[in-house]
Amino acid sequence: MLNMWRISWRNITQNKKRFFISLLGIILGIAFVTSMLIADKTTNDVFNYYEQMYVANADYWVLSDQHTYSEDAVSSISTSPAVTETLIALDKQAFFELEGDQSLNQRSVRITGVNNQTSSLLKLPVIEGSLDNEGLVISEVVANQLNKKVGDTIRFADLGEAKVSAIVEYTQLLAGPSDWEGAESTSFRIMAPLELLREWTGMDNELSYVRFQTNEDGQQLFESLQNEFLNSNVYVQPVVADDRQSNDIGELYTFFYLIAWLSIFISGFIVFNMIYTSVMERKKEFAIMKSFGYLQSSVSKLILIEVLLLALIGTALGVPIGIWLGDMFMQTLLGVFEFEMVYTLNWGIPVLTAVVIGILFPVVSSLFPIYNAGKTSVLLTLKTANHTHSSPKQHLFRGVVGAGLFSFIFIDHPSSYIAILASIILLFPMLLYGLSWVLKPILKVFFGYSGILASRSVTQQLNRNANTAAILAVGITVILLLSAVIESAPEGYENEIRNTYGGDLRVTSEVQWSNEDREKLLSYDSVSNVESLMEATPITWETIDGKKREFSILAVENEGPTLFEDSEKEQLYNDLSKEPSILLGKRAFDEWGGDVGENIYLNTPSGVQQIEVIDVVNTSHYSGYVAFMDENHLTNEFGWENSFDMLLTLNDGYNGEQLREHLWMDFSNHLSKVETIEDEIKSTTSSLSGMNELILTMLVLIIGLSSIGTANTLLMNTLERTSEIGTMRALGFTKQQVKKMIIGEGLLIGLSGVIGGIVSGAILIYVTSQSKLLEGFISFQLPLENIILVLIAGVSLSLFASWISSTTASKINIITSLKEG
Amino acid sequence: MIKLSNLTKEFLQGQEKTQVLKGVNLNVEEGEFVAIMGPSGSGKSTLLQLLGGLDIPTEGDILINQRYLSNMTEKERTIFRRKYIGFIFQNYQLLPTLTVEENIAFPLHADGSLTKEKNQMILELLDSVGLKGLGRRRANLLSGGQQQRVAIARALVNNPAVLLADEPTGNLDRSKAEEILGLISRFNRENNQTIIMVTHDIFAAGFADRIILFKDGIVDQVISRKDDSYAEYVANFMA
Repeated sequence: MLNMWRISWRNITQNKKRFFISLLGIILGIAFVTSMLIADKTTNDVFNYYEQMYVANADYWVLSDQHTYSEDAVSSISTSPAVTETLIALDKQAFFELEGDQSLNQRSVRITGVNNQTSSLLKLPVIEGSLDNEGLVISEVVANQLNKKVGDTIRFADLGEAKVSAIVEYTQLLAGPSDWEGAESTSFRIMAPLELLREWTGMDNELSYVRFQTNEDGQQLFESLQNEFLNSNVYVQPVVADDRQSNDIGELYTFFYLIAWLSIFISGFIVFNMIYTSVMERKKEFAIMKSFGYLQSSVSKLILIEVLLLALIGTALGVPIGIWLGDMFMQTLLGVFEFEMVYTLNWGIPVLTAVVIGILFPVVSSLFPIYNAGKTSVLLTLKTANHTHSSPKQHLFRGVVGAGLFSFIFIDHPSSYIAILASIILLFPMLLYGLSWVLKPILKVFFGYSGILASRSVTQQLNRNANTAAILAVGITVILLLSAVIESAPEGYENEIRNTYGGDLRVTSEVQWSNEDREKLLSYDSVSNVESLMEATPITWETIDGKKREFSILAVENEGPTLFEDSEKEQLYNDLSKEPSILLGKRAFDEWGGDVGENIYLNTPSGVQQIEVIDVVNTSHYSGYVAFMDENHLTNEFGWENSFDMLLTLNDGYNGEQLREHLWMDFSNHLSKVETIEDEIKSTTSSLSGMNELILTMLVLIIGLSSIGTANTLLMNTLERTSEIGTMRALGFTKQQVKKMIIGEGLLIGLSGVIGGIVSGAILIYVTSQSKLLEGFISFQLPLENIILVLIAGVSLSLFASWISSTTASKINIITSLKEG
Repeated sequence: MIKLSNLTKEFLQGQEKTQVLKGVNLNVEEGEFVAIMGPSGSGKSTLLQLLGGLDIPTEGDILINQRYLSNMTEKERTIFRRKYIGFIFQNYQLLPTLTVEENIAFPLHADGSLTKEKNQMILELLDSVGLKGLGRRRANLLSGGQQQRVAIARALVNNPAVLLADEPTGNLDRSKAEEILGLISRFNRENNQTIIMVTHDIFAAGFADRIILFKDGIVDQVISRKDDSYAEYVANFMA
């Protein structure tokens, strides 16, 4: 057995350059996959960590549809034997008193008063100071922003002052802006002792919510509390770790996984190329082995061992590189967020998975050559020379199937993308053939007769060269499509936000808006319309698999503001008004996992309810992780009675920025948030701008990996044509002329990959822009910057790849090659 | 025309040095047709490779057309080969992607010296090797004899001073071999080209003006057509 491994090792390392290039392909492929798996797991951990920090040990909480409620309403909780710990919290909007010239809205702060800062129902990782229940607790971001240390005093307008007792890491409870610009639209959040806040505000006996931990009788208590609160303004909810309303990271990973699988696909092709050519070269060797009694399985086993050796070495080197890449990736990704997120690389399971993939994918890619080696016919092989050329019939078949699949551009379905990509691969021999003919005169100008020979040679191994170019083209196509999506996304999101925001400004108050308030809002010159917005939050619900989730339900009605997009909006309003039913935003619908017409379980203020999901709609609110219900049903059947938000529509020529300061001045006693539609657009699209840089990096990496494939293919072509190149040299072709010929071949493969990729990318972008499924989310707009990069990177890396092979070709020993021929 | 002085060639086989040519001295006149014979490993093919500038000697000089090959760089030898040497190989060594005409024109393309006149000359060459009308065919689709004719035409296309043939009839049957040898001798006579042919076959060697027998890296015996014993020698050898 040891012998077989040793023989295989000698075989794969016989040609050092080929071995190195193939290994590099595997290493890069597996490194990409490892990094994506690690980044995915680690990101999940990071968000889980912050979710858990928010949830802590709490099992349930009692909230109200009003801003605050009386502590008496929940007196039964503190006395219940099922409750092991409680945490009372009171939120109050206030303003910092600062020495700088910050505006009122920039000084806005939400103070959360808690009765016990060290409660196990709170997780506050202390960086500096201590949780002494006497001073203020602020996050590091706020401390930096206000330039405060432990022991420093913070003053609040019309309330009082207190010393900072602890500075803690970022938590959702204390999330706030990281700069003064962000503070224009988002309030700071800090924590104070409950007693102190009550003393400042006079809100004795008032609270915003109570969280509690229960023993095994918790469910029973929950049900009894649901009954107890049925006709009151308070309601009980399980505490659920679900931050999907504020984080849409899952979509991002779909995107990065696509890149990782693409790289594995390219690496697989590189391995296939190497093993297939090696098998074809050694057919005579296999025939001799079989003539001495080797079985089909023994020959196949020999190749399998060679592949396994390559896979093991590639994985052993690729996985550590992948871990390092994953770490780099996490730093870049989390750097996008405003606050410093801590993370620990979760590499255990990802590394195991990557090892399995790393060993399996080269084997799967090589199954055909492994089988082919075993099937070597002794007589036929010893009699005839090896040939790896495919017949015109095969080309025709490939072309016909490719053309057939290409017709999927007329079919508006997600599977069309796979079909179109497959058709590109299948049609590539024709494209390469055509391009080598068209580009022949240009090659002649630059490379002389070597250029003409290059265009001939490329068609000699048409399938292999076309596959190599096609892989590059597919990589470019996918990346161009993704970059077009990223480029168009801000516009798409902006359109969606403008269509479904419901106005130009959303103002949130701690108390219900009165008629006087409404009149006052309408009296502003800039305001043309004021609509109230009812948002029931947080509402917990169950997925089809029984997992607990949390979102908001927004009230809608025919006469009210437009909060979602649908071609049959009127009909939906009508249906919602008939029976208590619900519309789900796209992401909520996907997470729920059910079908339209099925019921969703919701923990409403009126207890558990099963409500029919009547449709799924597109909306910008919470990136689609939201639900809509008829306002009357939300109030009557659901039991949500109050609205704290107003949507203001402005007259032409006005914008929300001008109004913001007025609003904070006029409603400072109860206003808690002013968000303009521009704020919403900015916060949604700002993270996308950083994405384009990641796309460009991916683009170069994919082209780089494809170029390794090009180098590999050219090396195979060169080694197969040793005798031919030797003859050329014997007949007076200089080394330089041979080099030029190979570089010309590489350039042809690279150029056709680049041209094919750009054309296919443009086709897919067009198909996507026309797709009714995506409802015009992206417009037909070519990412010109990336196309230029593709051209430069594709051509220069192909030239580099062909230069590597050309040095081998030019060093071919004439005498040996003539003897072999 | 060709003068070899103390030509020595050593190869390293593992740790061991093997001397394939051991100080060969030889003169070949312009227009002479020389056949080199000898058992395997006697150094005849190595001699041909050195004459073609495909390799360099360990010691000694090669003078062809008043130029020393041993003093040339790799590139100079390539260009010299392109201009002054024609090669005919046992297994034809045609370029499979090129047509018959393109194969013949290859040395001219390499030189960048293909002109309309030379194109006409290629057609004439095709005619003279008996391949008229087959110029546009892919070379690898022809029969063995036809492929060797293409190889001869290719070797002659730049009108080289020296034609080096390595077992040109080794893969052909007797009648085809006779045709090919007839062609080579015809060009030797008509163009006064110097031909050095390595062969195992005394029948092929019989077409030469001089037969040089190699043994263990040295010239063992030389027999010339001018010698009275030439015919007898060939007949005995064949027997």
